Amino acid sequence: MVKEIERAGVTVVHMCTVTPISMTVGANRIVPTIAIPHPLGNPALTHEEEFELRYKLVEKALKAFETPVDDQTIFD
Amino acid sequence: MRLELGEIHISDIKLGDCSKVENGTLYVNVEELRALLLEDEDLASVDFEVVHPGESVRIIPVKDVIEPRVKVEGSGGVFPGMISKVTTVGSGKTHVLKGCAVVTTGKVVGFQEGIIDMTGPGAEYTPFSKLNNLVMICEPKEGIKQHQHEHAIRMAGLKAAAYLGALGKDVTPDETKVYETSGVMSGKEKYPDLPRVGYVLMLQSQGLLHDTYVYGVDMKKSMPTILNPTETMDGAILSGNCVSACDKNTTYHHLNNPVIHDLLEQHGKTLNFVGVIITNENVYLADKERSSDWSTKLAQFLELDGALVSQEGFGNPDTDLIMNCKKLEAAGIKTVIITDEYAGRDGASQSLADADPAADAVVTGGNANMVIHLPKMDKVIGHPEAANIIAGGFDGALEADGSITAELQVITGATNEMGFNKLSAR
Repeated sequence: MVKEIERAGVTVVHMCTVTPISMTVGANRIVPTIAIPHPLGNPALTHEEEFELRYKLVEKALKAFETPVDDQTIFD
Repeated sequence: MRLELGEIHISDIKLGDCSKVENGTLYVNVEELRALLLEDEDLASVDFEVVHPGESVRIIPVKDVIEPRVKVEGSGGVFPGMISKVTTVGSGKTHVLKGCAVVTTGKVVGFQEGIIDMTGPGAEYTPFSKLNNLVMICEPKEGIKQHQHEHAIRMAGLKAAAYLGALGKDVTPDETKVYETSGVMSGKEKYPDLPRVGYVLMLQSQGLLHDTYVYGVDMKKSMPTILNPTETMDGAILSGNCVSACDKNTTYHHLNNPVIHDLLEQHGKTLNFVGVIITNENVYLADKERSSDWSTKLAQFLELDGALVSQEGFGNPDTDLIMNCKKLEAAGIKTVIITDEYAGRDGASQSLADADPAADAVVTGGNANMVIHLPKMDKVIGHPEAANIIAGGFDGALEADGSITAELQVITGATNEMGFNKLSAR
């Protein structure tokens, strides 16, 4: 899906846990997330901490959108 | 370590009022076994059925398959850390009731239990259609949580297998096989010219009903470690998972791991089987990196020349598999991986979620997406409507006439990644 949307001319940031698969598949902007069953959350945290975590991850993804890349890039 | 496996051939199972093994028949006192299993407060009922190869019977949804065994001599007991104490196993003498198994079914626990057909095209895809099976229909108490449900059925299967295995303790085996392993140093001295080969056994440990236990330890909480090959034959590794039926390793697979049996067969002849490195398949990227680093580090400690890696499940564990392969190869250890494929119904898609040029020696257990049609059986044990929700099935998979159209994924053990089954490709 990442590749097809990009092929249509829309920039994609792939937020995912297993970044090596994202690299293999060919995503250009990759933001690592928490874990496979809960990429944008963490059941070990409080509700407020989880909100903060999610907010920061989305912020990171938005920054990745703005960043020009020459090659596949993981935004750690 | 030296382990003698005394095989008692079981040609039939009969339910009655006395539990014993006599002339190749396993007699089961149902009331006694039921009372033992219902000591678990999470179980509401347990019912029993005996099925034989060739009968028109479907078992669905299948949770686990377990071979009855008992320790006769040597330290520890079978299924350590779960049924017996955690004492190290793998030496002495163990009796096996060969040709039969305990199969657990009942209300579906997760959504990834499988199907065993005892006849017809489905039977060809599962090794368990060739066994005399004691099927236990375990129904949970209302209101228990999923993880308690999984635990209750897992323990019921293991308790029953240990109970039945114990009936063979004083029976003279029909056949005895001896498995002997060497220490790291003594193996080197004994077989200085043979290639040193190890087995990296990947265990499903994604959590949320996808877990494997080693001496009772939840493998997702463990670092990779080393086992003596014979430990697995006494049940050191136990399945606690509801992962896709075709490529999950049931407890039966762990007890009879063909990679271990074949490597032991060649030990001292064509190779020096140094040991088993067990590792996990966790859901955090850092865990995947750490565990593959560690399995490679242990392989280097053992100074392996070659490694065989087997996977369990598919999807993100493909990454664990490829990481293990890449790192072992980079350490100069020649590596062969055993996996299966999700290449789409037409077989034309990429087979694994991850790939690397280092994975240049691959054995496949077959394409799990292939669509199969399972005709109606005269009898169904369990809950046939599970066909509509288990992985590989879909809404409408169970047709009005009782037949099932689904992906091969639904059949227990069909594309096993230890190579336990017959499917492959060239």
